[in-house]
Amino acid sequence: MIEFDNVSLTLGSFSLKNISLTINEGDYYFVLGPSGAGKTVILEAIAGLHRPDSGSVLVRGEDLCNKPPEKRKISLVYQDYSLFPHMTVFDNVAFGLKMQKCPKSEIRMKVDDILDRFNISHLRDRHPLTMSGGEQQRVALARSLVVNPKILLLDEPLSALDPLTHEKFIRDLRSLHKEQGLTIVHVSHSRQEALSLANNVAVIIDGRLVQEDTVEGVFNRPSTEEVGRFVGIENIFRGRVNRNDDSLINVDVCGVNISAVGNYPDGTEVNLFIRGEDIMLFQTDGAVTSARNTLEGEITDSFHVGAVVRVNVDCGIPVSVLVTRQSSEEMNLIRGKKVIVRFKATAVHAVPVNMDAAEI
Amino acid sequence: MVKKAKKYIFPDRCLISFSLVGGLIIALTVLALMNMAVKELSDIPHILKVASDAKVIDSIVLTMGAGFNAILILLLIGTPLAYVLARTDFPGKGIVESLVDLPVMLPHTVAGILVYILFMSRGLLGAPLEEIGLSFEDAYPGIVVAMLFVSSPYYINSVRAGFEKVPLHLENVARTLGATRFQAFIRIVLPLSARHIFNGSILAWGRAIGEFAAVIMIAYYPMVISTLIYYRFTTGGIKESSTVAFVMIIACLGAFFVLRYVSRFLGRYDDRV
Repeated sequence: MIEFDNVSLTLGSFSLKNISLTINEGDYYFVLGPSGAGKTVILEAIAGLHRPDSGSVLVRGEDLCNKPPEKRKISLVYQDYSLFPHMTVFDNVAFGLKMQKCPKSEIRMKVDDILDRFNISHLRDRHPLTMSGGEQQRVALARSLVVNPKILLLDEPLSALDPLTHEKFIRDLRSLHKEQGLTIVHVSHSRQEALSLANNVAVIIDGRLVQEDTVEGVFNRPSTEEVGRFVGIENIFRGRVNRNDDSLINVDVCGVNISAVGNYPDGTEVNLFIRGEDIMLFQTDGAVTSARNTLEGEITDSFHVGAVVRVNVDCGIPVSVLVTRQSSEEMNLIRGKKVIVRFKATAVHAVPVNMDAAEI
Repeated sequence: MVKKAKKYIFPDRCLISFSLVGGLIIALTVLALMNMAVKELSDIPHILKVASDAKVIDSIVLTMGAGFNAILILLLIGTPLAYVLARTDFPGKGIVESLVDLPVMLPHTVAGILVYILFMSRGLLGAPLEEIGLSFEDAYPGIVVAMLFVSSPYYINSVRAGFEKVPLHLENVARTLGATRFQAFIRIVLPLSARHIFNGSILAWGRAIGEFAAVIMIAYYPMVISTLIYYRFTTGGIKESSTVAFVMIIACLGAFFVLRYVSRFLGRYDDRV
């Protein structure tokens, strides 16, 4: 329903380069990327606030480059909420309807209705800057939805909220998307948000689209090393295929052999992605498992990451393993200790290094 | 409404010495005023006579009125220019900005000559306008146009700063909600920069009523207050002219005090944007 066809756009020192992406009707589409990668500009281009230098933005098959933002029926919620400070909550929410020349009685009805639905009726006559971030957030969302948009654009809507409000808001967004079938484009640098909300994800790095895929695709099968790092895969190695046994390959990574599932001819240069939680850690006298890859090494470092402990092991190549706190304590995983790491060939995701992509 | 909390800063050595040094400039102004006030107030009947002199009153009213008129024109034509400068980038913007600032830099007599030769009876604009009955030489429109020229940068630059302070995001959101750029300007940008517009107007007005050189070149008559004071200074001497000046000072202080007071109630939101 929204298509970016080879869109390039330069704004001051910043630019989007040849972006092509497709957002389907009813999608919860995530634009993921580090800060300053140009995600907000993509939203503003969809809303019609920037005209691309080249390429086209199609919405429902129609080239919108010449349609001004006020005629697009696309609502935008900024990270800072951008409530009009000189208007009450009621007037803020009523603004869009007033612009559409709705009759007064209808405006009052619709606004009161949506304030009620968002549980913010008590804020009706308040001015925005006297309210908390969570309250402003709800007002901004109510204001963008009361005009009944076809597409909702969200620019880092969760970044300024405390954890409790954050969780509640994720639930609200989910139900908004599921129950009303609203197409939502959400821009963020948070992997967590993407995992809890998105169907499809585009990863934008440095103004370029690096991968567009389903949320599982991006998080499990990153197309490049860069995407892998960005989605938080702990172990990324580059190596060369030295044996191909029909869908099982052997990859040489700096002299260490790793088996992976895949089917690439000998000599192919590949990136290997292994999630830290897919690797098991054993004492040197530990049990034998079915895992194909077994490496021996010495712990160089271990530290808490949220609920788990990340253990870095030097096995000739640096391997990061995530273990629970309990096993970390039981196994006494301290620096200098010798351990064995094991992982299955299916836990290794091999992607050939595409020279074009690698140069990005 | 949120009341601004007053900040009381415990004075340290730096602040105290800065205040003492900075106080010199205030002291100079106060000294000059006191010096004049003491002399003038020793002859109250003379002040009253001058203050009730029809010529003086007319001249003060004329000066303030013409200044006000210049500001009205600036509101209409300077405001759109300020918006364009605040919101867009275009090739040659630097040149436009220099042109806006030019009247600040020019000696006032130079500004006067520029205005005069453009608007005099034989001037490029003066001649055709006189045909339709609008003459500038020694006439009210001449005073207004001279004041407009010298005060425009003060208005345009402060209003532009006000527009720049209104976050672009607010305008963007307004537009996605269905407002055209003009509607967003009227409903979002203007109200949020009301105070800048008002303060810019006061500044420009102050500049306009203070103009002497540019005004006399195109319109010696009717006499604006500066011309009148200069005339009395050259014909009647210090005593004559200083009392007129004193009356003007009182009138200006009163007017600016009232205007500044009013501005406190305007656009209180722009502090909080």
